[in-house]
Amino acid sequence: MGRLRIFASRLLGFFHKRHLDENLDGELRAHLQLLAEENLRRGMTPQEARYAARREFGGVEQTKELYREQRGLPFLDTLLQDLRFALRTLAKRPGFATVAILTLALGIGATTAVFSVVDRLLFRSLPYPHDERLVSFGLLAPIERNEFMLGASYVDFRKEPGPFEAVASMAPGSADCDVTEENPIRLNCGVVEQTFLPTLGVQPILGRNFMPEEDRPNAPRVALLSYSLWKSRFGGDPGILRKTLSLDGSATRIIGVLPSSFEMPTLSPADILVPQALDEEQQHKSAPGAVLRTFARLKPGSNVSQAIAGLQPWFEQAIQGAPPEFRKEIHLSVRMLRDRQVQDVRLASWILLGSVFAVLLVACTNVANLLLVRATGRERELAVRAALGASRARLVRQALTESLLLGLLGGATGCWVAALLLRLFVSIAPEGIPRLLQANLDLRVVVFTFGVAVASAIIFGVAPALNRPAPEVLSGKQTNSPARSLLRQILVSAQIAISLVLLAGAGLLLRSLWNLENVPTGIDAEKVLTETIALGNYRYPNAAEQIAFFTELEGRLKRLPGVSAVGVSDSLPPAGQMRSTIFAAIEVAGRPLLAEGTGGMVGWRAVTPDYFSALSIPIVQGRGFQQEDRLPSENPIVLSETLARALLPNENPIGKQLRLFRMQGPWRTVVGVAADVKNNGLAAGSDPEFYLPWKNDPVVSFSSANVILRTRMNSKAVSAWMRGETAGLDPTLPVKIETMSQRVGRLADGPRFNAVLLSLFAGMGVLLAAIGIYGVVGFLVAQQTREIGVRMALGATPQNILKMVLSNVARWTIGGAALGLLGAWFCARLLESLLFEVRAHDPFLLGLALCVLLAVAFLAAWIPARRAMRVDPMVALRYE
Amino acid sequence: MAPPRGEVLQGTLDLIVLKTLDAMGPLHGYGIAQRIQQVSEDLLKLNQGTLYPALLRLEQRAWISSKWGVSDNNRKAKYYSLTRAGRKQLASEAESWERMAAVMARLLAGAAGA
Repeated sequence: MGRLRIFASRLLGFFHKRHLDENLDGELRAHLQLLAEENLRRGMTPQEARYAARREFGGVEQTKELYREQRGLPFLDTLLQDLRFALRTLAKRPGFATVAILTLALGIGATTAVFSVVDRLLFRSLPYPHDERLVSFGLLAPIERNEFMLGASYVDFRKEPGPFEAVASMAPGSADCDVTEENPIRLNCGVVEQTFLPTLGVQPILGRNFMPEEDRPNAPRVALLSYSLWKSRFGGDPGILRKTLSLDGSATRIIGVLPSSFEMPTLSPADILVPQALDEEQQHKSAPGAVLRTFARLKPGSNVSQAIAGLQPWFEQAIQGAPPEFRKEIHLSVRMLRDRQVQDVRLASWILLGSVFAVLLVACTNVANLLLVRATGRERELAVRAALGASRARLVRQALTESLLLGLLGGATGCWVAALLLRLFVSIAPEGIPRLLQANLDLRVVVFTFGVAVASAIIFGVAPALNRPAPEVLSGKQTNSPARSLLRQILVSAQIAISLVLLAGAGLLLRSLWNLENVPTGIDAEKVLTETIALGNYRYPNAAEQIAFFTELEGRLKRLPGVSAVGVSDSLPPAGQMRSTIFAAIEVAGRPLLAEGTGGMVGWRAVTPDYFSALSIPIVQGRGFQQEDRLPSENPIVLSETLARALLPNENPIGKQLRLFRMQGPWRTVVGVAADVKNNGLAAGSDPEFYLPWKNDPVVSFSSANVILRTRMNSKAVSAWMRGETAGLDPTLPVKIETMSQRVGRLADGPRFNAVLLSLFAGMGVLLAAIGIYGVVGFLVAQQTREIGVRMALGATPQNILKMVLSNVARWTIGGAALGLLGAWFCARLLESLLFEVRAHDPFLLGLALCVLLAVAFLAAWIPARRAMRVDPMVALRYE
Repeated sequence: MAPPRGEVLQGTLDLIVLKTLDAMGPLHGYGIAQRIQQVSEDLLKLNQGTLYPALLRLEQRAWISSKWGVSDNNRKAKYYSLTRAGRKQLASEAESWERMAAVMARLLAGAAGA
């Protein structure tokens, strides 16, 4: 309380300086006059009386000074004074200020941009209250890398949710659903249990959550709208709760609106939430039941490992219900929700953040170097100030204020750089970096930026600030402080080391990207167009209608000019979204099934006869499919080479009978063997696969499919025709047309993003290091001008001088490079899991990075070193 | 030779000023200085200037308050007066001072006796 009052009064004093000064003046003048009058009365002469009064009073100016210190905030006063001084100094040397601020802006801007992206992945809390207690839990199997549960066991589990406070399930992914009224649109529907929102802790901003009785089979249909759908389709109508929406043809009552911050825990898009309406009896009857994504809220104070322990008994029991061949390969898993969301990008995020901090460090080192250079020029000024009574603390404070000002100016400029870089990131980023589009420079990020700016200011400001002016500087003699030169060389060595690490990392990622882009895919992607179409369940309710649509489209496209092949398939290589089964479920006629284990995954697709020619997949044995194979009586199958070898080793597979999916369905005859294609993305190893003809078969679904079209015509023109033909059949269908090369290229987007960013940072690091070397060598040459002059006068050739300067540079460059090699060796290991077909310790790449860096260092040193060669001994000896 | 004039102990000046104002009622800076010298019979060496930062310090703590007035000889002057908080502070400081003085006296007497 008392302290607060004193502060308030001091603050007041700080802002009313002039008025208070006048007051004090008046008071002191009155005092002196009273003293003088008293002295007059004692019989002094007027002049004597005034002098005596002064003596008695003491120093008037000292009194004022003491009074002011007591009155205002001396700390703030000094700060303002230092700031004014720092601004003046910077303005006097605009070149220095510009270089320093731009260097910092580059470092801070890059750091800010990367931070604004990874912050949402690694640090910022999820949009759910107490998100540290939200987990994804369930089973993990080779086919599924995210937790799931099966309906039959979940409906029992949720009655006794073991170690959890609450559990909720949802259908995996998001289902398409259609608004079938005026302005029909296709929406993403989240199909969720009624406990879903309460478990996440999400409260609708309007209306209410689902009731338990609405989450039952055959209940009246209800839905919750996302905030953006509410705004875009209903104009944010507050009376929305009285409305119904025709969803997939049935009237659905809107019971609530979700908050704008809402997102699905799987990060899948959701415009609308509808109840899951899980039928318990049905799930038991069709055990193991539907696949569900399951989430839970931990009890307060409990953690993931406790939850795993608590689930163990349930898991032991649940695994008994799993097909026997799966048992060994199924695991129990409980993960923090955030870990589930960022699993793929966590490592890359940390690496990018680390490398951008390295760039910042290089930038700071550069500014520290610049400040050291300037400190040499200002030694005399500092010495004078010290001689006039400035304490060492005062001088350090002044120097730090200047650094701080530079840091803050750099930070402010950096925000602007960050905005530009962020736009670049978003434009080159692959799909599937969670929350990238939300990344922006909000308050939190700006606070971070200024934190970084201040931290940088301290890092680059401390060394120059602690610089003690030598008294002999006052004599006017220029001194060579060997300690400072050494410090600057160490700083440059550090820059070289950091840049080398960045360069080596970028090299590895670029090499890995090149490998990835040139991996043989087994298909010829040139001159191939693909069209992806998803038919709505409402307009195309059964397989017959869906097939009819695609058959008609296939026919129409075939008639286009310049088209050599048109195929249809439910999935496309080399992405990994094909259907799959396990090897153990394929039965060869006359042979027992695999006794133990799954035997690994086997992929499969349903394709039309022209699929193979459209993608140029060679048939190595037998034949591909024919039109006749689409008759209901025919059951042909085409195997990939790998699958044929695995199923029928050392046998001719043609004509052999197979039964798929664990003895369901008919015996199928192997009619051909196709060459292997990449089918699990570019990096992962491929699975064996087989092909079924595209026809009405209960195991195939036709609601969405890809049309593949090979043409020698201009792809733009053909894609316009494709669009036209599709619209001719059904103008409401959303269509996505791409070239096959684009599709394949997209698979390398993630690695490309990482490689481009790391290369960008490495480039920045090397550039900054080059500037650093240039500056230091230039400075050393300037300092040694006299020495060089003497040497030349004594007969040294310009070559000798060049050698002298460069050998000096070489010493600390090589020192830094050695350190950098060591660092690169260790850091490469972190990159290992991001690399494709390149060893983390590839000696060629490391050597290349070293050569590039040494070449740049040499060039940066050579330019100023040449100046040393041209020194005129006569001028040099008169230097100073 | 005149007796040496004692320096004002750090922190005692506050107490002296408070006591002076308590005894004399509202006073201006000059008046306080005169009064101190008068009472101490010129034994205290007081740089009158140092009074002002002390007055400000006391005012910031709200132990005294000030307002502009007119002095006996019709001069504008700033008058300081004790506040209620100041009176309380004076009481407690005077007490602790007396305790301290008693302790010192006893200590010194003991030292002399030994």
